[in-house]
Amino acid sequence: MRTSLCVFAYRARSLAFGLIVGGGAGMSANAVAALSHGPDPLFHDGVEGITAGPFNDSDASRFLAQATFGPTDTDIAHIRSVGYNAWLSEQFAAAASHELTYLDWATNTLGEDIGQGNRQEAWFLAALGGHDPAGGADHTDQLRQRVAFALSEILVISDQNTTLSGYPEGMAYMYDMLVDNAFGNYRQLLEKVTLSPAMGVYLNMMGNRRADLVNNLHPDENYGREINQLFGIGLVMLNIDGTPQLSGGQQIPTYTQNTITNFAHVFTGWSWHDCDEDQGVQFAYDQFTYCFPPYEMPQDFRTPMIPFDTTIPLYPNNSPSYHDNGTDATNDVVSKQLLLYPGVINSGILVANGTAASDLQFALDNIYNHPNVAPFISKQLIQRLVTSNPSTDYVTRVATVFNANRSSATQLREVVKAILLDPEARLGQWRNADTFGKLREPLLTLTHFWRAMDAKHMCGTNFVQTNDDNSTTNYKYKNQPYRYAGYSTVYGADDVQYGVGVGQAAMDALTVFNFFKPSFAPSGELTARGLVAPEFQLQTDSVIANTGNSATYRAYGLDIADTCDDQGNTTYPEFGDVKVNHAKDLALAGSGQGGSADPSDRLVDAYNKRFMSGQMSPYMRDQLITYLNKIDHNWANGTDDWRLQRIYRALYLIFTSPEYMVQK
Amino acid sequence: MHVDRRKFIKDTLCAAMGGVSVYSALGQMKLLQAATAQAAYTFSDYKALVCVFLYGGNDSFNMIVPASGGARTAYNATRPTGSGGINVSASGLHLLNAPTSGAGSPGDASGYGLPPNMPELATVFNAGKAAIVANVGTLIRPTQRAANQYLPDSAPLPPQLFSHSDQTSYWQSSPPTNQPVTGWGGRIADLVMSANPAGLPILTGLGGQDAFTRGNNVSGYVMNSYSAASLGFLNGNNGAVTCSNPAGAYDSGAATAFCNMQQSNTQSNAMERAFAASMNHSINTSGIINAALAKARPVSAQYGVGDPRNSIFKTFFTNPSGYDLDSQLQTVAELIWAANQGAVPGYTGLKRQVFFVSTGGYDTHSDEINSHADILPLLSKSLAGFYNALNSKGLASAATAFTCSDFGRTMTANNGGTDHGWGSHHLVVGGAVKGKKFYGNGCGFTAGTNYGVIMPSLKNPSTSWGTPSPNQNDSGDGYGRVIPTSSVDQYAATLAAWFGLNTSDINLLFPNLSNFTTKNLGFI
Repeated sequence: MRTSLCVFAYRARSLAFGLIVGGGAGMSANAVAALSHGPDPLFHDGVEGITAGPFNDSDASRFLAQATFGPTDTDIAHIRSVGYNAWLSEQFAAAASHELTYLDWATNTLGEDIGQGNRQEAWFLAALGGHDPAGGADHTDQLRQRVAFALSEILVISDQNTTLSGYPEGMAYMYDMLVDNAFGNYRQLLEKVTLSPAMGVYLNMMGNRRADLVNNLHPDENYGREINQLFGIGLVMLNIDGTPQLSGGQQIPTYTQNTITNFAHVFTGWSWHDCDEDQGVQFAYDQFTYCFPPYEMPQDFRTPMIPFDTTIPLYPNNSPSYHDNGTDATNDVVSKQLLLYPGVINSGILVANGTAASDLQFALDNIYNHPNVAPFISKQLIQRLVTSNPSTDYVTRVATVFNANRSSATQLREVVKAILLDPEARLGQWRNADTFGKLREPLLTLTHFWRAMDAKHMCGTNFVQTNDDNSTTNYKYKNQPYRYAGYSTVYGADDVQYGVGVGQAAMDALTVFNFFKPSFAPSGELTARGLVAPEFQLQTDSVIANTGNSATYRAYGLDIADTCDDQGNTTYPEFGDVKVNHAKDLALAGSGQGGSADPSDRLVDAYNKRFMSGQMSPYMRDQLITYLNKIDHNWANGTDDWRLQRIYRALYLIFTSPEYMVQK
Repeated sequence: MHVDRRKFIKDTLCAAMGGVSVYSALGQMKLLQAATAQAAYTFSDYKALVCVFLYGGNDSFNMIVPASGGARTAYNATRPTGSGGINVSASGLHLLNAPTSGAGSPGDASGYGLPPNMPELATVFNAGKAAIVANVGTLIRPTQRAANQYLPDSAPLPPQLFSHSDQTSYWQSSPPTNQPVTGWGGRIADLVMSANPAGLPILTGLGGQDAFTRGNNVSGYVMNSYSAASLGFLNGNNGAVTCSNPAGAYDSGAATAFCNMQQSNTQSNAMERAFAASMNHSINTSGIINAALAKARPVSAQYGVGDPRNSIFKTFFTNPSGYDLDSQLQTVAELIWAANQGAVPGYTGLKRQVFFVSTGGYDTHSDEINSHADILPLLSKSLAGFYNALNSKGLASAATAFTCSDFGRTMTANNGGTDHGWGSHHLVVGGAVKGKKFYGNGCGFTAGTNYGVIMPSLKNPSTSWGTPSPNQNDSGDGYGRVIPTSSVDQYAATLAAWFGLNTSDINLLFPNLSNFTTKNLGFI
C-alpha cells in the first residue's frame, strides 16, 4: 500500500465525517439545507508529485473512471498497491482482446451464424473484462479498450450502414485495428483505417475510380472530405492549444473545395483484395467495376483493399488503370494541390506518375504532417477520457507530446499517458470545480454498473432457428457466463439509438459525425458560458428518461440468484440476460434490523467510492442516508433480505443523479 | 415590454458581443430596434410549422424529375443510364400538373413528374395542396456563375459548402455564424412563445435533436417517434408525478430524494446543473405530451389507451415503421389535433407550435437508383398521410410541412451515385399552401433559359454562362453542382410570414434576408 501524509489526513477526516453524519439523519431541515452540494474540499490532494499516487481510494477510483470501463473494488485496491505508473505499464503490456477471436469462436466452435449482436457481445466481453469463453487468456486490457472505444468515436464507421450491417466481421476487423493501434502511431493507424474494407464501404473509397468524363463520372469525395474534416485536421486552422487561429477576426479554413476534389482523385483505384473467387479463370468482365457486395465473402472484409493500377496476376481485366495518377490529360487532375501549410512537403502538390499506393502515402503524409493534427486529435481524446473543456495549457501539453512522438511506434501510448497523468486530469476537479468533467456516455454508465456489480450472462437457451430460406442457425446461449447477450434489451444497450435502453452501442452512430459532435453544447448555462458538453447531444429528453428507466431495471432486478425459467423453452428461446450480484453488498447495507439504529452510511460510502470516486457531496450523501435509513427489516420481500431494498434504491438514486452522471 | 421579449434581446445582444462573425452584427442592430418597438404576439388561430429534414442531402433532381421538353433532354445528357447510371426513366413518372408557362410553372417550358413510387404526394400536389420550391440552398447573397462570383470566390459564400455537418447546420440555423448557435425554428419559437400558455411545449423534435430546435430561450423538447419517454420511477396511484409532487409516487421517499438531487441550480458543477435541467425538462414535458397523445389514441378492444395503434389517424399511416418519418408525422398530427380540441387537460390554449421530424439515408453516393427508390416512398406516404389526416379533421390549413436537407447533389454521377451538391428542390405541403405550382426562380433546368444559369455544368460545359473552366474537374463546374437561386432565408422567411411574424421580426430572424430583393417567395 502506498502511503503519504495525505493518507493519514484522509483517514482522520473520514472519521470526523462519519461522526458528523452519524447525527445527520436526525438533523433539522435547516441544517440539512446547509449541506454543501459540492465534494468535500478537505479531500484536496496534491502535495506530493501527483503522478506518484493514488494516495487514497477515491483518487484511485477517479483515475479508473477515466482510464477504464468503470472502477471496481478489486481494481481500486490493485492500483492503490502498485500506483499509476506501474498500472499504466501493466496496461501497456496487457494482451489485446480481439473481437474477431470471439466471432471466430462463435462461428467455428459453436457453429453459429453470427450477426451484429455477436459483435456487441464481443465488445462487452472486452469492455467488461474477465475470462474468455473460448478458453484464452483473461481479458485485462482495460485501458487499451477504452482508448480504442474513444478512437471509434473519431474514426467512425457504423452498423447503421446497410452494407456493413450484414458484415460484423468487417466492423470487428476495423475495431481490432483500433485496439491494436490504440498505443501505436496515428499515421500508421490512419493508413490502416483508410485501407480497411469496412471504412472503404462506409465512406465510398472502395471502388472509387478515376474520372471518366465521356460517361460523366467523377471520383467520389466522401472519404477525401471526411479524412480531412473528421479524422485529420478539422475545418479551421488551429493553434497548438486547440483554439482557432484568427485572421482579421475570422477563422481560417484549412482547405477549399478544390482541395477535397483533389483528394478524391487521389483516393481512387482501390477495391477488394480478392475480386475473383475462381482465381486463375479469366472472366470477361471488368474486375474493378463488377466487384462489390454481395459477391464478397465475410473473409474479404478482413484483408486490406488493394490498388488496381498495375497488372496483377489473376486480375486480367484491370486495364485501364482506375487510379488517377495524373497521366490522363483528359480525365485526371494532373498536378494535385493538396493541403497547404507552413513546412508542407513540395508545397502540398502531388505530381503525376505515381502509383495508387505511392500517391496514397503522399496524401496521408500531407494530412498527418499538418500542424492541426496534434491539437485536433489530442483535444478529442482528452474530451473522451477526462473533460469536455480542457484548458488551453492542457491541450498544448498533450499536443506537444503528440508532436514529439510523431515518428514513434508508441506515439499514442505517450499521448494517453500524458492525458491521464496531466495535472489537470488529476487535480482539475479542484482547480476548475465548477466546469471540470464530462457527462458520462450512456454506454459507459452501463459498463460501469456491470463491472462494479460483478455482471455475468445467465440463463439463455440452446436452440436451432429455421430461417426464411430453410437454412438453420444455431444459438448456444445456455449457461454461457461470458456471452453478454441480453445487452440489447431495455436493461442494456440498444441497436436503435433513440429507442429503449441506454440508447448507445459501439460503432452504432447514426452518421459519420458520431453520436455527438465535439462542439455540441446544450441550451442554457453551458451555451451562455461558451462551454461545450458533447455527450449531451445524445442525452435527449427521451433518452434521459429511457436511461433512467433502464437504470431502474438493472438496479432492482436481474440478479444472479433469480431462477431461470425459460431455458427449456424452445418455442420462444431466449438469449438470456446480463445479471449482477446485488447480495455481495449485503454486509455493507446493514448488520441488524435496519432503520436509523442500523444506518446505511457504510453502503453509501462504499458506493461513493466505487461509483462516484469519493466525490459525492455532503448534501447528496445526506439525502441518500436519510432515505435509506428508513428502510428496515419490515421491507423484506418474501425470502429476499430486507437489505437488498437499500442496495436497489441506492443504486437507482446514484445512477440517475446529476452528481454521478458527470464524471469529474 | 413582455419579459420573454426582453430576455430574447438581452441574450442576443450578449451573443453579438461574443461573436466574431461580420455577418451577424448588422442583424443584431436591427434586432434591437425592431424588438423594442414590438409588443408580444397574440394570435386567435392555431398554426403549426413542421420541418421535415432529409438527412444526407436529397438528390431532388431525381425526385422532381424532368419528364419532357428541354429539361428532359438535358437530364438524359447529364445523367447516365444503365449499370452505374443514375437516370430515372421518363416513363412511369407521376406528372405534376403545374402551369406550363408563366407564374407557377417550372420556368423552362418543360414537364416534371414525381418518380413511380411517389403517387401519394403527386395526388396531393395535383389537388393544389403541395408546392415545389425550386433550387433552394444556402446563400449569403445572390450568387451567380455568370457574374464570376462563384469561382473564383469573390462573393461571400456559406462556409464549408458540400460538408454534411456544416450545411445541415446552415439550413437549420441560417446563418450558422449566429452565436450561440440557434436554429430558426428555435428563434421563431422564442418570438411567439408569449402567445402560448407558459410551460406548454412550443417546440418539439421527434426522433433526435439538432440545431433547428434550439432557441435562445426556448429549449426544444425531444421525444421518441411515438411517445414522450417518462420515468417509471415517478409513477404513482394517479399516474406519473413530477417533482412538484414527489409524494404522489409509489415510492415517495425515493422519489423525494431523487427530486431533491435534481433541484434546479443547486448543483456545484455546471455540467451537473445542465443534467438536472435536462432531467427536469424531460419530466415536466413528457406528462403533458403523453396526456395529449392519450386523447388521440383512445382505448380499443385490442390495445390500451395511448397505444399508437389506436390512433384516430391510423388509417392514414398504414404499416407504420414505429420510428421513422411516418410514425413521427402521425404523432405530430395527433398533437396538432389535440391542441385544437380544448379538452385535453394541460394542453389547451396553444396557438403556435413548431415541430421537427427527420429521416435519413439520402447520402446516395452509390447504388442511388435503388437506394433512393427505397426511401422516397416513405416520404411520399408520410407527407400525404399527414396532410390527409389533418384534412379529415378540418385542420389541413392549420399546419404546413416543408422539407429541408443538407444540400442537393451533383448532376453528374460517381459510380452509380451522386456527390454532395448545393441547391435542391423542396416540397411544401398543407392546406394553406398555394399548391400545384413551382416557386422560387423555377427549375430552370435548361441552362440559360430562365433566370440565369443555375446548372453550371451539364455534361459538356458550354459557354452559355461565360468562359468554361479550363479543367472539367474543377469543383464548381464539371461536377454539376447547382448554385441555388433562392436562399434558405427566403424559404424560411416565407414560412415565418405565414406563421404570423411581422416584417421587422422576420428581418431579425434572418440577418442575410436583406441581401435579397424578394423577401417572400409567395408559396403560402
